[in-house]
Amino acid sequence: MNKRGANNWRVICFGGLPLICFLLLFPFSVDSEESYLVYFLFLTFLYIALAQGWNVVAGYGGQASLGQHAFFGLGAYVTAISWKAGWIGYLDPIGMLISGAGAALLAVMIGVPLLAKLRGDYFALGTLGLGEILRVVFTQGGSFTGGPVGLMLPSSEYRSMIPYYFFALSIALLALLCVWLLVRSRVGLALVAIREDEEAAAANGIHVLKFKIFAFAVGAFFTGLCGSLFAYYLFHIHPSGFFSLNWALLPVLMTILGGIGTLMGPVVGAFVLASVFELANLWLPEIHPIFSGAFIILVMLFLPGGIMSLGEKPRKYRILQRMLPFMQSS
Amino acid sequence: MSGFSSFGVFLQILINGILFGGMYGVAAIGLSLIFGSLQIIFIAQGTMMILAAYFTYWAFTLTSIDPFFCFLLILPIFLGIGWAFYVGLFNKVAAAGKNPSLLLAFGLMILLENLMSVAFTPNTRAVTTSYTGLGLSIGDLRISFTRLVVFLISLAATGMVFLFMKKTMWGKAVRGASEDMKAASLLGISPRKVSSLTFAIGIALAGVAGVAVATTYPFDPYFGFVFSLKALIAVAFGGIGSVVGAMLGGVLLGVIESISSYVISGGWADAISYGAFLLVLMFRPQGIFGRIAT
Repeated sequence: MNKRGANNWRVICFGGLPLICFLLLFPFSVDSEESYLVYFLFLTFLYIALAQGWNVVAGYGGQASLGQHAFFGLGAYVTAISWKAGWIGYLDPIGMLISGAGAALLAVMIGVPLLAKLRGDYFALGTLGLGEILRVVFTQGGSFTGGPVGLMLPSSEYRSMIPYYFFALSIALLALLCVWLLVRSRVGLALVAIREDEEAAAANGIHVLKFKIFAFAVGAFFTGLCGSLFAYYLFHIHPSGFFSLNWALLPVLMTILGGIGTLMGPVVGAFVLASVFELANLWLPEIHPIFSGAFIILVMLFLPGGIMSLGEKPRKYRILQRMLPFMQSS
Repeated sequence: MSGFSSFGVFLQILINGILFGGMYGVAAIGLSLIFGSLQIIFIAQGTMMILAAYFTYWAFTLTSIDPFFCFLLILPIFLGIGWAFYVGLFNKVAAAGKNPSLLLAFGLMILLENLMSVAFTPNTRAVTTSYTGLGLSIGDLRISFTRLVVFLISLAATGMVFLFMKKTMWGKAVRGASEDMKAASLLGISPRKVSSLTFAIGIALAGVAGVAVATTYPFDPYFGFVFSLKALIAVAFGGIGSVVGAMLGGVLLGVIESISSYVISGGWADAISYGAFLLVLMFRPQGIFGRIAT
């Protein structure tokens, strides 16, 4: 444990810090308005936060949600509606936090019935249904949500790509930090225990529903934040784009591809998948989704545990073994 | 019934819903079998349907093979594809749990959708035969000939799968394996064979549903995902693993959709069917027509 801890710090000091410094300076070294890379990194940071949000619920809590697009869309709409009403301003951090909190509130409200009643695949299907219902509700919302056309925001406010880049970077780092702290806390241990064996966790005095809802809300919060920032970026919020099932499926893909239930898995997965999508888009514009589909199939065939499983196969149940040694005998 | 102008209109909408729901039903049976015995949410089911629909379309356009005759060609081809999918892909990741299987299905869906889009262009296609416009008129009711035939074929497919599961040794093996794979393999049932058979049947049913789509509705390469979602709802209505339940679930979904789009509005139909789906999942997870396993 100590040795591994030291090793972790070495990785953070020699790998993480220079990388973060590089990312902080990068947009100033290129023409941020012209550079494709700045946009690419902006998108990748969003994906990282989205994937990390799903990773908390599914990777650590074991509750695979397929309804993250509900939170993404809700975050975007909260931002758009409050900006239109004049409650918040352009690229307002408070507005983003409110949007994230709105998504988290929705997660708590629907989490109580869904998480209490549904498990496993049924929970996944239930959240999927929920996201689709929300899309219809916002499409039919009349003048309040702008209907199928959506809401247009004052795009004349746009000045530069740089604030977007830093907001996305901060959201991604915040998500990473939160998950890191969460995993090391009692909450993280409780979540992993619930994932491995719900009944055993309950028997050990863990309030299963409470922790599940908490994880669901944390995931929703980050998804809502991303939705809010993306709304500020696009200036046009419409139900088919922001409640698109892609926002639910891409984080799932990225997390599993990188390594579900690991801290860096979603980061690696988001970066790799975003790169594959964008490179394929640049080089093979006509057929790039074919390439992306084939890539997903190949990775799953040869690395079903995700990219992070390359270096750390025997560590699979390490956290559980450390926490509940007495359970090994059963 | 206040929303309906007359009983005849209500009956017409009911019949439309039932006929349309038959298509969901066939796709749902395949999904239900795969889900019930292999624990895979095969999200590419709808895309396989569209593949079959294209097959029908090209067979009809290029060689003028009748779409209903095309069944006989598509069934063995799709049985083969399903078998190959399982042996070549899903069998390899079966040990790694559910996530890789779901992702494989997702990757297949993206791959197939876009292969079709590149090969056949993303334009909407429809099979128009000499009898497409025909209809039966009973009083005020009008029933499209192709939809009726398609519905009857769906029922026949359901019946065949049902009999296969109940009456044959292989069907018994599939049912046994879906209850307890370990116990089944102790009794000499090969998990690999049973799983590949289940998968092949599931994909073949997608093929049947695909021919049904081709003859009755216009379609494009990306149409399949919606069908996968609808089939999932039908599976939940009918109870996972149940053949007849999935068919009834599909029909029920078709009826819910057509009635709610008439009474309220087309835009809300999806929300209502998903709402019913949520309620069923929460309060009758064994399905509306299912019994609690004893």
